[in-house]
Amino acid sequence: MGLQFDSEKCIGCKLCQQACSGSHEGIFNVTLARLHVESYYEAEDLKVEAKVCTLCGECVEACPFSALSIQENRLHFDRENCQNCGICVETCPESVIVQKEDCVGVCDLCNGDPWCVKYCPHGALSYEEALAHEEVL
Amino acid sequence: MFGYQNNVLRIDLTAQTAKQEPLNMEWAKKYIGGKGLGIRYLYEELKPNTDPLSPENKLIFMTAPLTGTVVPNSGKLAIISRSPATGTILDCSIGGHIAIEIKYAGYDAIILEGALKEPGYLYIEDDKIEFIPANDLWGKGSHETESFLLNKHGRDCKIMTIGPAGENLLPMACINSDYYRQAGRGGIGAVMGSKKLKAVVVKGSGGVKVADMEKALTRVHEILRQDTVTEDNLWAYTDGTATLVEACEAGGVLPSKNFQDATVNKSEGFNSDRMIEARKGKRGCGSCALGCGNFTKIGDAVVEGPEFETLSLAGPNCGVHELKAIVKFNQLCDDFGLDTISAAVTVSWAMEMTEKGLKDFGIRFGDIEGYLQMPEKIARRSGIGAELALGIKELSKRYGGEEFAMQSKGLEFPGYEPRGSWAMGLAYAVADRGACHMRSYPIASEVYEGTVEPYTGEGKAKLVYDGQVYNAVKFSGIICDFWGLGLDTLAELLTIVTGETFTEADMETIGDRIIHLARAFNQREGFTGKDDTLPRRIFNETLKSGVAAGQRIPEEVFGKMLSEYYEIMGWQPDGTISPEKLEELAL
Repeated sequence: MGLQFDSEKCIGCKLCQQACSGSHEGIFNVTLARLHVESYYEAEDLKVEAKVCTLCGECVEACPFSALSIQENRLHFDRENCQNCGICVETCPESVIVQKEDCVGVCDLCNGDPWCVKYCPHGALSYEEALAHEEVL
Repeated sequence: MFGYQNNVLRIDLTAQTAKQEPLNMEWAKKYIGGKGLGIRYLYEELKPNTDPLSPENKLIFMTAPLTGTVVPNSGKLAIISRSPATGTILDCSIGGHIAIEIKYAGYDAIILEGALKEPGYLYIEDDKIEFIPANDLWGKGSHETESFLLNKHGRDCKIMTIGPAGENLLPMACINSDYYRQAGRGGIGAVMGSKKLKAVVVKGSGGVKVADMEKALTRVHEILRQDTVTEDNLWAYTDGTATLVEACEAGGVLPSKNFQDATVNKSEGFNSDRMIEARKGKRGCGSCALGCGNFTKIGDAVVEGPEFETLSLAGPNCGVHELKAIVKFNQLCDDFGLDTISAAVTVSWAMEMTEKGLKDFGIRFGDIEGYLQMPEKIARRSGIGAELALGIKELSKRYGGEEFAMQSKGLEFPGYEPRGSWAMGLAYAVADRGACHMRSYPIASEVYEGTVEPYTGEGKAKLVYDGQVYNAVKFSGIICDFWGLGLDTLAELLTIVTGETFTEADMETIGDRIIHLARAFNQREGFTGKDDTLPRRIFNETLKSGVAAGQRIPEEVFGKMLSEYYEIMGWQPDGTISPEKLEELAL
């Protein structure tokens, strides 16, 4: 199970994207985040949208160089195999794979303790892998 | 220093040219960013006695080192200019996401000079700057303008606009962003209007580097959980500023009918419980961990808000006790580009003038139909609005009623009654941009917490001064008003982000320096201690009901508070800064 999102609790602050870019890229830049969460006004309504990795595996299937795999319920990226072809970026149904200069960036769930979840101020993002794991035990 | 882009975008609107220049890092160390650094630039660059509505006035959009980082509540933008309403220094603060976008576009600040010949807007995408004609948008509301520009340039742009009030150069015109966020006070929107600039559209693809990313993530996360999203601050999320309706009514400081009294007894129609009932969603600014925004919808009345100021001043202060009417008034003000505080207090003054038979403005307390026509009439200067657009300082000179024209230095009062919170009276009188509740907020100790006796002048000068120092440095960091962080925490955050060591004592020194700098600016424009005053109503008339019934601020007590304040500041008895002191401050 990947990241869960509850739109009722989202205030559109983008701290999740700030934390994601900071931890993965060493710079705060929401466009480099491996998730996209937004709230905005349209036609006098407040709308909330979130795109997060759902672990659907489409990128794994599409990657011609076996650079992506799902291991222990997390997306694993093998930098050495990546040829930076960009096919995974185009394939991702949530558009949350980041095209970088020399390779791509995927949501690796921060080794099971995602920064986006930790920074989400009101619990709109959650990750229940730990909980699921405990239940299995 | 990290955290900065070390880059200022300077735009000459007259010549339609733009250039980039390094940020003055010597000033950045002394003033950080936001309010302080913006005022430092204006103090240096603006010739004294510059007409605020002339092309020679400048409009400065200033971010700060914390902007665009994971530091909570760091997403606000400071906007600095000389005020068309007061002639004083003017620094405003606007939320939404525009500040972060400016930083991501690669700039610490944007300085606008000159004026366009025809209405236009600026499109800034990283290094690309375009001057685009906006004749078709001129005359349109802020909301329609923002929607048009989002459709044209894409939803990932962030936008500031003005409404008709800014175009028509009203001293109460605001700048709008993200539909419902405003830089409200002092006519900042008129400065933009005088430059024939309908909007600024920004799109940035860069980011912000910090000195210590590991620490920025781990320590800031601890601070967020232990200091920001805590019981002390979460009122902003659960209730928002609407919670102050109850607090102010209980403390006898909720103004009624143009500050004729300070108790309402009908606040259930617009208090925080009623607001929660009508709430359709919550929203925060970029990098905000609290989320004070209440998206409210009642029938065709829609707004993010109303905030306490609007609930209070466009509510009971206009004799209105119904949330739907206040929401509609707020929505109209936002769209027409009016500051809700100054617009509502101008309307309430006109209501009192009419009811007292001093001048018939055709509007009375509680006349909701008439009151809802006011924002458009004022913003377009049509009918009675042509008069009300002047603001109450000018109007009361013409028609009388000066003793109850609730303003200081030409800026209309915020929604707190000073007779029930005497330090708040001093705070209004000495605030750099005229009557303002954001320069020092002693009402928290005097009324909400009850830790300081409200009806005395004793110790109030120090209380006001401490609040001014705190807010001046906080708004230069920039941290939002609603996170009550300690200055030691602010110093720690700045150290983590910039890599320079800042201490709590540095924060106090910088805050004090900023207050002096703002005062020096005003002094250069001819302001003296004589301008640090309040309308006669506060000195002469007692409140009639509520816990503060029978209270007024005796003028001699006010005078004593003021003298003590000057003494703390090291100013002369007439409120001026001596040339020696100015030299010593090395501003």
